[in-house]
Amino acid sequence: MIQFSRSAYDEVVYQAYNGGDEEICGVLAGEYDADHSRVTETHVAENVAETPQTRYVMDPEEQFEIIETIEDAGSEIVGFYHSHPAGPTNPSETDADRATWPKYSYVICALDGYPFVGSWRWRADEEAFEQETIAIEQN
Amino acid sequence: MRADRPAFVAAEQSPDMDVTVEVVGEDTREVVIDDGETYADLVRAIGRSPQEVTVLVDGSPVPEDQPVTADSVTVLRLIKGG
Repeated sequence: MIQFSRSAYDEVVYQAYNGGDEEICGVLAGEYDADHSRVTETHVAENVAETPQTRYVMDPEEQFEIIETIEDAGSEIVGFYHSHPAGPTNPSETDADRATWPKYSYVICALDGYPFVGSWRWRADEEAFEQETIAIEQN
Repeated sequence: MRADRPAFVAAEQSPDMDVTVEVVGEDTREVVIDDGETYADLVRAIGRSPQEVTVLVDGSPVPEDQPVTADSVTVLRLIKGG
């Protein structure tokens, strides 16, 4: 399960919308747990993919700086997010081929209809994503 | 100098090099590599593919085909997909 603060959840959707036809990406921060994480912050990063309409690559230096910022603030990495401007709502084959953080959440905001936010934990031993429940905290 | 002294050539041996490798979000380990091995070799030595990570020295990426000169590196698992 992954639990979002209202503002963090909305931020993922806003950023995905603002990305237009290009994928956006970022790091989710808060409290990590193998079964129940909580997201309180989003940290957007530049998508440096050559074809950002269908691919995303987080700039490595920026990714490292974001992770250091999160850890220096006493927070934890919960996972990562990106958008699928034209769908699908679930991870693509490319997402599975390139996943590298087992047990962390990979959140996708799909915009092929009304925004749909889904989350999956990467299970490296099974080489598969496992969908998890998303909860949103009420203010 | 005696001209008839047989030439002695010491066997060339690559000295080992200890490198501290921090895998961000995972652990830190010590890796022993041979002098002249590259950052890509170092990545493979910890069971990773060079395609899935970037090696950082002092926070900046280093070319993976270059010989390792740093005694402490950071390995960042890349975030990418489609």
